[in-house]
Amino acid sequence: MKRLSPAHLIGLFPLGMMSLFFLGPLAFMIVVSFYKRDPLGFYDVAFVWDNYAKFFSSFYYTISMRSVWSSALGAVIVVLLAFPAIYIITDMKRRWQLFWIILLLSLMCLSEVILGFAWLILLSESSGIPKFMGWIGLWQDPHSLSPSFGAMIIGFVTLGFSLVALMFYPQLAQRDRSIEEAALTLGTSPPRVLTRVVLPNYRGAIIGAVVTMFVYFLGVFVMPTMLGRPQDWNMTVIITDKAVGDANMPLGSALSVIMLLFTLLIIGLLMLASRKEHRS
Amino acid sequence: MNSFLKRLFVALIAAGLILPFLIVAGVSINANSNISFPPTELSLQWYTVLFTDKDWLMPIRNSLAIAVVAALVSVSIALAANYVLWRLKSGFGRLVFALGIGPFMLPPIIIAMGASVFWAEIGMYGRIEATIISHGVFFVTLPLVIISRGFATLSDDVVEASRTMGATPWQTFRKVIFPLVLPYIVTGYALVAIISVNEYLISYMVSGFAVETLPIRIFNNVRYGYTPVVASAAMAFALLTVAVLLVLSMITDLLKLLGAPRN
Repeated sequence: MKRLSPAHLIGLFPLGMMSLFFLGPLAFMIVVSFYKRDPLGFYDVAFVWDNYAKFFSSFYYTISMRSVWSSALGAVIVVLLAFPAIYIITDMKRRWQLFWIILLLSLMCLSEVILGFAWLILLSESSGIPKFMGWIGLWQDPHSLSPSFGAMIIGFVTLGFSLVALMFYPQLAQRDRSIEEAALTLGTSPPRVLTRVVLPNYRGAIIGAVVTMFVYFLGVFVMPTMLGRPQDWNMTVIITDKAVGDANMPLGSALSVIMLLFTLLIIGLLMLASRKEHRS
Repeated sequence: MNSFLKRLFVALIAAGLILPFLIVAGVSINANSNISFPPTELSLQWYTVLFTDKDWLMPIRNSLAIAVVAALVSVSIALAANYVLWRLKSGFGRLVFALGIGPFMLPPIIIAMGASVFWAEIGMYGRIEATIISHGVFFVTLPLVIISRGFATLSDDVVEASRTMGATPWQTFRKVIFPLVLPYIVTGYALVAIISVNEYLISYMVSGFAVETLPIRIFNNVRYGYTPVVASAAMAFALLTVAVLLVLSMITDLLKLLGAPRN
């Protein structure tokens, strides 16, 4: 047998930690999703499909569709805003780039709870945008703009913006500007340069960012509960509600497993598509 | 787009990103106990409550304790994984690295749900250690990616030179590799610590009401009848976050660490 090198032994530490505390809980969640709920305790060991069967009711179907729709919308908006913004920012002086990076990092690090709270105030009748609009006379009868679907999407966008922007930053900062400049000096109009030169170059990165954000928004809890109405709540809120509120761990696990499979399917499709693109 | 429109566009985005904080800041120094903006009378009383009231001090202490240790866990996993990948460049190294990317690819709720059942089953649900390890493991992607940039800048010549001069792998690591990747390690540590302080869902699902962290406290306060102390708590942590990042930008080249070319 080949002797294990010290590097292999060092590798056992991250491997062990990730297997035990990342893969382990996921495996455990799959097991628990087949257990039976015990109304008096957490659950009884069993092997039943009941928890999965519940998913195929109109209640969960509606919530699933709603989650997919709000996550997709949020993902598209956030990328539509972040890509051009970073594109412009990377051409700025380093001092301004640093300002933006610190702003983006601060936002990325800030709690969803704090961001949600900030928007709650900003959209409220007593202190935010509605009051200001009333004050300048643009809105006769100002009222609170949250909770609403729009408020929730604003929350999603503020939450995801920094992540997407920081994902685009290295690529756009290191881009070869000579091609764009050449196209411009040859008389191509700036919008045409954007659609014909810039965007095709970053198609993969843009699609990747949309998918990453979509998956991320699927699992967001605070924004829907703070800024959305109950009819805007996504699957994450329902899972948390079942698992913690009703102490129904098996059902919460089963719903999470379905979300896990859905996520893996999307990531798989993305990888397949990018491989095809590479080959062609 | 001409340059005026470009500037207008980024200025609007900057305003949209900064505006929420200005409002929270305004509310936090408002003497009035109703949450309103603009403030009518200024006072720092809510900050005094924040730093003297046991109900707020305990969550702050919990959050900070979790963050300091969780970031250590995260960075040590990330450093070891990067070292292995750099040293072996084999399937094993890639496997370890891929495992570290995993948590970032999944919706946070799946991770939180898994952690919740896992810690419940091994009897550690509601213990602070559970939150620490979960944060340490789930935020590993960030230092992993950042430290990998550090390893990418290591030139083979330097390492080769140290080896031909008779250094053991451990000496090479300690004297050559570690100092070169240190800025990346510090950045990774700081980011995980900040994110851990501000994380809600995993903390809530892993420890419920047993280990109340600051975001849990703020969230409950907002949902079930709030006081302006929430605004001062939010503001204090926003300022702490910005302060740590400013210090970081002074001691390291943040732009380079995040992937910009050197000028």
